[in-house]
Amino acid sequence: METFALSEPVLLVLLSLAEQPRHGYAILKDVESLSGGRVLLSTGTLYGALQRLLDRGWIERVEEDSTPRDRRTYRLTLRGRRNLQMEIERMRHLTKVAALRIARKEA
Amino acid sequence: MALTVYCWLLCLYPGSCRHEFGEEMTSVFREARSALPPALAAKISFYRREFCGLLSGALRAHLDRLFGPVIPLRRFSMQRQVRFPRSTVFLMCVILAGLVLAIHKAQNVVQMKESLPPATATAWGPVLWGLLFALALILAAVAAAAAWGVLFALRRTGMHRLDGMQTWAEHHWRGPTKPGNSCFDRK
Repeated sequence: METFALSEPVLLVLLSLAEQPRHGYAILKDVESLSGGRVLLSTGTLYGALQRLLDRGWIERVEEDSTPRDRRTYRLTLRGRRNLQMEIERMRHLTKVAALRIARKEA
Repeated sequence: MALTVYCWLLCLYPGSCRHEFGEEMTSVFREARSALPPALAAKISFYRREFCGLLSGALRAHLDRLFGPVIPLRRFSMQRQVRFPRSTVFLMCVILAGLVLAIHKAQNVVQMKESLPPATATAWGPVLWGLLFALALILAAVAAAAAWGVLFALRRTGMHRLDGMQTWAEHHWRGPTKPGNSCFDRK
């Protein structure tokens, strides 16, 4: 199991695909809306992340005969979903500890 | 025009990446461009982001292809005080580009020299030597710039302060450092 902090664009791409399979432009728009307009991915960054995620087997292409080559859809694999859940657990733990520390400091 | 530049920049990617994602990337770029707001600032920001993203993506793809996945998915976790400043990274890229260009030029000069007939080669001799001398000067300048870049980066990281540290052997033979001499004693 791979346990490490993911970069923000990769995390947002995974979160976008966690909901449903999406193609490139849909991922771009979803990442923008997920981050409240703060993270605007370029196509170079997006496809760099997609390639690395494909290589690691965290996502896969949805193979459909009717899909044109320039509009292929991607979805999360079981391994990707498990790693995403672990990352969210890590973040949840971190925010919990951070909240406790801040509360202690204020008290 | 922008699409032409985009396609031209896509050529910087390795062939396999271009073949796998090229069409998709162009299609997404076209779609994103058509959805741009009419404001000029938004357009400038979009094109800047796209072109910079392509350049960095191409560089990363080449590095991944040459050395495997050198930059993992995780965040850049090096401690801040030992990171290279951005100016040094930029300088190193410029130096690398200069070196690649110099090597390419040198290869051209050698090929030109080999392809010349003997009589012409004699006539071109001084010119070629001049070119080689100029090339050597350029290489020396590049090497000096590289050395300066490394020294600058080391200075920024605070490596020069290690001079003030005592090694275990020094400590053993000469006794402990007087307070104030070691960099750890500084407040």
